[in-house]
Amino acid sequence: MRNRVLTPLLMAAPCRACIRSAHAFAVTLVMLVALWAPFLGAQAPSPSKSIDRVAVDPEASIKAAADRAKAEAALRNWTPPRTAWGDPDLHGYYLTATYTPLQRPAALAGKPFYTEQEALEVFKKAVETDASVNPSTVHYDWKEYAMDGWQSPVRPNLRTSLIVDPEDGRIPAFTPEAQKRQADARAAAQARNPQVGVQTLGNLYTRCVTGNNAGPMLRGGNPGSDNGAAGVTAEAQIIQTPGYAVVMAQSNDDARIIPLDGRPHLQSTVRNYLGDSRGHWEGNTLVVETTNFIVPGTNFNGASAALKLTERFTLVGPNTLRYVYTFDDPSTWTKPWTAETIFPRIEPPLYEFACHEQNYGLMNVVKGAQTTEAEQAANKASPR
Amino acid sequence: MNIRVRGVMIAVAALWLAATPAKGQAPSAGFPAYTPPRTADGKPNLNGIWQALTTANWDIQAHGAQPGPHPELMGAWGAGPGGQSIVEGGEIPYRPEALAKKKQNLETRMAAKVTNDPHRYDSGEPELQCYRPGVPRANYMPFPFQIFQTPGEILIVYEYKGASRTIYMDPHREPPTDSWMGWSNGHWEGDTLVVDVTGFNDHTWFDRAGNFHSDALHVVERYTPISPYHIKYEATIEDPNVFTRPWKISFPLYRRVEENVQLVEFNCVPFVEELMYGPVGLYKPPSR
Repeated sequence: MRNRVLTPLLMAAPCRACIRSAHAFAVTLVMLVALWAPFLGAQAPSPSKSIDRVAVDPEASIKAAADRAKAEAALRNWTPPRTAWGDPDLHGYYLTATYTPLQRPAALAGKPFYTEQEALEVFKKAVETDASVNPSTVHYDWKEYAMDGWQSPVRPNLRTSLIVDPEDGRIPAFTPEAQKRQADARAAAQARNPQVGVQTLGNLYTRCVTGNNAGPMLRGGNPGSDNGAAGVTAEAQIIQTPGYAVVMAQSNDDARIIPLDGRPHLQSTVRNYLGDSRGHWEGNTLVVETTNFIVPGTNFNGASAALKLTERFTLVGPNTLRYVYTFDDPSTWTKPWTAETIFPRIEPPLYEFACHEQNYGLMNVVKGAQTTEAEQAANKASPR
Repeated sequence: MNIRVRGVMIAVAALWLAATPAKGQAPSAGFPAYTPPRTADGKPNLNGIWQALTTANWDIQAHGAQPGPHPELMGAWGAGPGGQSIVEGGEIPYRPEALAKKKQNLETRMAAKVTNDPHRYDSGEPELQCYRPGVPRANYMPFPFQIFQTPGEILIVYEYKGASRTIYMDPHREPPTDSWMGWSNGHWEGDTLVVDVTGFNDHTWFDRAGNFHSDALHVVERYTPISPYHIKYEATIEDPNVFTRPWKISFPLYRRVEENVQLVEFNCVPFVEELMYGPVGLYKPPSR
């Protein structure tokens, strides 16, 4: 849709390209290793380390990696290291990409988990779909830059949906109030024609207002997509200092500062695109509650200004961060809903994501839409 | 800018800095000697929310109060306060042709040109268009910023635009490409955090007055805590394409001490869309 900071990220390509060179082998390796993670709470190091780029015996490497994963899984009572001031130490860089859809597809109703074999097949299919590019229609060929999800350490998932509650893996029904709100919004969108502009055609992501990880850090595939590709620029960093945690996203350089000292939220009259976050520790889990989102504006999955987002970050293995989030918004959904995934640890660093500074894509897309609308209007005025 | 040129520049800067008299732990004028509290790894603790109280964002050199560019619309809201120079010696040692460019920048600072090519950066003040401010300007924007200090990396998050930068302490990292905020590697000299910043593009300005640099910019910053509530900030600025010699700025940073003080989001992208996209017919919000 737009020029997403290709220049800086191009520079990241060489190290990721080396993953590509070992691609077929790498995907297999990642799949086998990763499979253990959701249940066993362990994994091998990220592929950039675990893949020997001159490996001549993939089978042996895969077996070694799987053995290592199982060995880690045997560490049942593994507890995260502590910071110098005694908090669980979550410092590091993580990958938030996933091929798992937010909601369970209808065809998988009643089936919350794949078998290992099924998970491998589904993952392989998703990877192949992601990797196949039609050069006549593609906007960015991410694989050109070794940036697409399938060349990252993204892992397969035994779950068939990110949503774990409700049990059917689906977002609960909208309340009548939310249904009316959305009908009104649709009517307003219809009424704008032909008033196309960046605010009506663009979204927060394409306008460079926020990145992929604003609000919940993943919503299944690419933004706006329930079953999309694994996601690009899906890296994030966690930094801790006494009394604070910071979640720094590669996408749009969104930095969420999370005070841990029990202070109250900002007054409800202050609204932020990234909300207003407060955190505390429950055992080894960092619990973050975020409110004060700008609405209209954010409206994640149709949420209202009353949204309370609760996230739980738990390091469950040396290289595996479990991420659970709950949407609670009684004016929008008949009950809260919760999604869960794991973020594998990845190599540093992050790069500058100067999106708004060079947002060529948005203007081109809006210009194109304006041209289309003008042509449609002309055709309507003088039908053939 | 290629690595070799940058390497030579860094070497030149190192020589220049070496020739500067060492200040050691000498207190800033008017402040008694001070030993800052330490982080767990024994380094001076710079964590906190800080803010400059200068008018340097309008003009880093001495300037009187001035009306805004559109007094018929903005009245006193658009006016700029007067202030003293943060530039040591007062003058910026521009090359002659660069001084002409600075004056031209001042004249065209209100231009916001959205194009499909790099000429969009030829004119217009970057802050006007909500672009990242670069370094050192980010430190004297009229907004607070927060320092998060870890042994390996120091993260600075700026309220303005939510811009951020990571200072790599250990290991240092090479700039992968030019960028708006540059690439920062740091080390400690006594109680002073010294940050070497390179890898800049040539799109940022130092202020609203048109003071500028090229992509050869090299900044060496020094953060020295001089009380529980003050950091002495100094920066040496070097850019042989634009200046005849390195020059220096300095000003204090003040700790924000209000109860529960925090950065409040200043995401200015939505504030500039009409300015930037309106003239090319791309801004038509549904409510108008």
